[in-house]
Amino acid sequence: MKLHKDTEKIQNLLGDYCRTGVEQDIPGITPGRVHHYRRLVYNVVRDTMDTAFPITLAALGEERWDMLVQDFFSGEQPQTPQIWKLPFEFYQYHANQETGTRIEKPYLDDLLYFEWIEIEIHTMPDRPFPDFSQTGNIFKDRLAFNPEYEIVRLEYPVHMHSAENTSELKGDYFVLVFRSPETGNVQFLNLSGLNTYILTRLVDERIALNDLKGDIAHVAGIESEKYLDDALSAFIGDLIEKKLILGFAKKTN
Amino acid sequence: MNGKVGIGLRRDISKEILESTVLKPNFLEFAPENWMGMGGYWNRIRKEAVEKYPVTCHGLSLSLGSPEELDWDFIRELKVFLDENQSSIFSEHLSYTKSRNAHLYDLLPIPFRKDAVDHVVDRIKRVQDFLERPLAIENVSYYTPVAAEMTEIDFVNEIVEKAGCKLLLDVNNVYVNAFNHKYDAREFIGKLPLDRVAYIHMAGHEQVAPDLIIDTHGQPIIDPVYELFEWTIQKMDPVPVLLERDYNFNEIEQLQSELDHLKSIIKTHWKVTYESPEGKTSSAEPSGVHMATENKDIT
Ligand SMILES: [Fe+2]
Repeated sequence: MKLHKDTEKIQNLLGDYCRTGVEQDIPGITPGRVHHYRRLVYNVVRDTMDTAFPITLAALGEERWDMLVQDFFSGEQPQTPQIWKLPFEFYQYHANQETGTRIEKPYLDDLLYFEWIEIEIHTMPDRPFPDFSQTGNIFKDRLAFNPEYEIVRLEYPVHMHSAENTSELKGDYFVLVFRSPETGNVQFLNLSGLNTYILTRLVDERIALNDLKGDIAHVAGIESEKYLDDALSAFIGDLIEKKLILGFAKKTN
Repeated sequence: MNGKVGIGLRRDISKEILESTVLKPNFLEFAPENWMGMGGYWNRIRKEAVEKYPVTCHGLSLSLGSPEELDWDFIRELKVFLDENQSSIFSEHLSYTKSRNAHLYDLLPIPFRKDAVDHVVDRIKRVQDFLERPLAIENVSYYTPVAAEMTEIDFVNEIVEKAGCKLLLDVNNVYVNAFNHKYDAREFIGKLPLDRVAYIHMAGHEQVAPDLIIDTHGQPIIDPVYELFEWTIQKMDPVPVLLERDYNFNEIEQLQSELDHLKSIIKTHWKVTYESPEGKTSSAEPSGVHMATENKDIT
C-alpha cells in the first residue's frame, strides 16, 4: 500500500473521534475546529435513527435513546454504504447485544423491527408480479397474491398497543406488512394464528382454498361448513379489498 | 448538458421536480447511494425522473481517501446504476468517509501528504478503469487541515494530474475553504487546471463563528459566491452547473430563482441557450464547447 502507516494512523484517529466522541491526539489540526466533524457525523446518524424509529424514540425518551444511538455508532462498524439501510444494522446490533433485556424494555427488539420493516417493505426491490385474472371463485381457483409482503412474528404486540403496555402481554402475534401495488404505501394487518396458517399454506403450496378447507376445519376445530365458508369469505374478501390478493392465478403461474 | 443548470434530486422536492410547474432544472443529479437497489414508490420516482431529465451522478460513499481497500461489491452495483440511469458524469469527493472498516457518512479531510496523493491516485485509476468512465473528483470543504505536509492546491493538482481524472469544481467549497483557512479564493481557482473541470457545484453555506463557515447546503447561495462563480466561468469552457441543496425546501420559488440567477450569469459568458420546456426533449447542447468538457468525453 502506498499510504504510510503514520498517515493511516492519523486518518483513523479522526475517524475514531467522529465515531466515539472520545477526543484523540490528532496532529496538525486547527484548535477548536475538529469537534465540528464529530458533531456533523453524529448528527447524520442520529437524524437517520430518529426518522426511522420515531415510536421507539418516544417510548424510551430522549436521553436513553441517545445512549442507544451512541452505543451503536461507537460499538458497531456500520457496513452499509447506503445510510437509509443503517437502521437495520442498528436493530441487529441491539438485538445481538440484548439491549432490551439490559434496559428492562423487553419489547425493544420487536419495536425496532416493527419500525424497520415499514422502511424495508416500502423500499425493497420490486418483486415479479404474477399474471392474474379478475374473475374466478375464491374457493375453487388459486388466488394470485401481491408478492410484496412479509408476515412478521412478534412476541410483544407493539403493533396494537403503546410499547410500554406490551411488557405483560408476551405471546405470539402476527402482522401482515405489505406494499400497496398502486401507491407503494405500506399497510399493516393484524393476523390471527389461524389466518397466518391459511395465508402461508395458500402461498407456499400454491393450492386453492377448497384444498385447504379440511385442514383448516381440523386445526381450528370448526364443524359448521357454513361458518367456515363465511369466515374464509370475509378474510379473503378483506385481503382482496386491501390488494394483498390481486385476483385469480392464471394456469401458467 | 454543458452550460446547463441542474439540481440534486432529493426526495423532499421530487414531486415539484417531476411536476415542473415552478421548479424547472435542465438536468438532475442523483446520489446513487440514495437510490440504488430500491424498489417501490421511490423507484418509480427515479424512473420518471430519468425519463424526463438528463442525469448526472454524484457519489457519497466511495471513500477515495480511506486507508482500507475499496468496496468492490459496492462499485459493481454502482456501475450498474450509472449505466441504467445513463449518467453522463460520475463525480466523487476528494475525502474519506470510512475508517477502520466503518462507514461514517460524512466527508473527512484527507491529510495533504505525498503518500496520500499516491494512494488516492492509485484508487481513482482503479475505479475509473472498472467503471469505464472518468471520475470527476470534487474539492471538498474542510474545517481543519490534518497533519498536512503540503498545500491544498498542490494536493488537489497533483492528484488530478497523476490520476488523469476530471475535476468537479465546487465554487462554494473554495469560498468556504478560503474563508476558513484564510487564503485567496481567486488565486486558488486560478491555480487549478480549469481545462480539467467537467462539472461545477454551487451551494449555500452557514457561518457559525466569526472565523468559521460550515458547508451546509441548506441556505441560498450568497452574492460573493455568485461573484466567484462569474469570475471563474470566464476562465473556462462550458460545463454543467449544479445547485446543491440538501434541506430547507420550503421555498421552491426561491430555488428556481437561484437556478435563474445562475443561468443569467452563464448566458453572459458562455454561449448557451435555454429552451422551454427543458429536459430530454429539447436540444440542449451549446455550440463551440471545448473537447475536454464535452458530454461524450465524460461518459
Ligand atoms: Fe459539492
